[in-house]
Amino acid sequence: MDDWLPASGRTRGRTAAADRTAAGAAWMCAVIVTLAFGWIAADLLWHGLSRLTPGFLFEMPQLSGRAGGLASIIVSTLAILAICLAAAVPIGLGAAILLAEYSRSDRRLGRFVRRSLDVLAGVPSIVFGLFGNAFFCVYLGMGFSLLAGGLTLACMVLPLLIRSLEQGLREVPDDWRNAAAALGMSKAATLRSILLPAALPGLVVGLVLGMGRALAETAALLFTSGYVMRMPGSVMDSGRALSIHIFDLSMNVPGGTGNAYGAAVVLLLMLLTVNLLALAIARRWQLTQPGPL
Amino acid sequence: MPACSRRPAALLLALATSLLLASCGDSSNQTRLTVTGSSTVAPLMAEIALQFEKNHPDVRVDVQTGGSSRGVADARRGLADIGMASRALNDDESDLTAHTIAYDGIGMIVHADNPVRALSPQQIIDIYQGRIDNWQAVGGPDAQIIVVNKAQGRSTLEIFLEHFELAAPSIKADVVIGDNEQGIKTVAGNPYALGYVSIGAAEYAVGADEPLRLLPLEGVEASTANVRNQRYPMRRPLNLVTRGPLEGPAAALVAHAQSSSVDPLIRQLYFVIPQR
Repeated sequence: MDDWLPASGRTRGRTAAADRTAAGAAWMCAVIVTLAFGWIAADLLWHGLSRLTPGFLFEMPQLSGRAGGLASIIVSTLAILAICLAAAVPIGLGAAILLAEYSRSDRRLGRFVRRSLDVLAGVPSIVFGLFGNAFFCVYLGMGFSLLAGGLTLACMVLPLLIRSLEQGLREVPDDWRNAAAALGMSKAATLRSILLPAALPGLVVGLVLGMGRALAETAALLFTSGYVMRMPGSVMDSGRALSIHIFDLSMNVPGGTGNAYGAAVVLLLMLLTVNLLALAIARRWQLTQPGPL
Repeated sequence: MPACSRRPAALLLALATSLLLASCGDSSNQTRLTVTGSSTVAPLMAEIALQFEKNHPDVRVDVQTGGSSRGVADARRGLADIGMASRALNDDESDLTAHTIAYDGIGMIVHADNPVRALSPQQIIDIYQGRIDNWQAVGGPDAQIIVVNKAQGRSTLEIFLEHFELAAPSIKADVVIGDNEQGIKTVAGNPYALGYVSIGAAEYAVGADEPLRLLPLEGVEASTANVRNQRYPMRRPLNLVTRGPLEGPAAALVAHAQSSSVDPLIRQLYFVIPQR
């Protein structure tokens, strides 16, 4: 009777030690990830924060960007992002609804679309850039333009958006669909009032990931929206995105490193703002939606 | 409540509509010139274009990048009015005309206290590939050579590699730097460093009493003057590339880019002004 006690104590000790090691390792990984982000952010802020004056945001760039501000660059970046979202969100929504709600019986179509999306998500951005240049700029005759850049980015962002939205729709329990059907609701009404509000977190995750990828994109935009620093007058004008500006300042313009840091801080802040905005809109929508949540 | 829930959608719609309207309002009757190519020439050309537009309000110049090969290909296919190439034209590109607007030359630099007066091309290759790692082997003091190299993607790195026929991975560097200023600071702060920067930037730093010395290459003194008269070997031309006879605004732009009114712009980017 008493010989199992010490044995069990040893086992318990070993288990506890293993637990501690595992927990320690997990903590270590978390710390490494945080440190990596902290380092990047600190380096950017250290070099770039002093550049961040109202003039830097609202003045036109001068001397290839070594002097002046970012006004036209910020406008072009936001225009490209808006075009990208305006094209990607409706198409993404439609495709995700097809995949999650309509393709259950038609499995082969669903599998094919999903496979295509996964391949598309893994395609390097320079390939999207070359495709965008050949299709939008040359074949459709848009030339170097914000429109061509935004649409190219939309192609790039779509897989992320569709997959996370589809995931969001799938996580809605089938009971809700059955209940809606039992109440005699049409499929469209079910989608609009029940499924889409419930899948909102998925949409937000997709949007945040997509916008992050779009804002950070350099290679795909170099060949589509282009390099022109002028303030864009229409979506058919070429305009330089922030990421391209940072790349050019740090690589091709002697003496551009300082303003490259400043522009990088602006990009970082823009990314944070856009993310917080997406979250805020989603939270507000969920609160005001008379849905099941 | 429903009104509130539709607000984001309404916002998006308004944005899309305004963008569409904005695109319809494009009623410019300006001539548009497209210039594409070398990312080294692009910042210079963008500045030249800005200057040109001030004197020619009826012309609009869009400068795009993508590399010298792209500049040549676009000029040939007519996708661009003018191409940019940071190299001379090859033999199979004789259907095009090159107009040199500036030169880009790079010089080897050491600290002013370094007694070594010259390095042969072979010695430079051996140092950068790690076969020589002490100044004693090239007639200097007994100290380790601090090899300063440029970061990937820099045009100065390209000229350096091309001139010495080196491959980027074969270089064993102690310090990797970004722009010219950083290279100058690194070498000026270390008596045993060896690096290379744009000749224009190095000459400017020497003039500003930085403890630096430019090394001659193949017996030719490294100076902007010797780049201009094409005697100094480690240089390349920055060209505008056109196809067929030049006329209209494109001819005016090329003429402007080759005039002395762009000299300050060339100097600002540490390129070398060609003989006019």
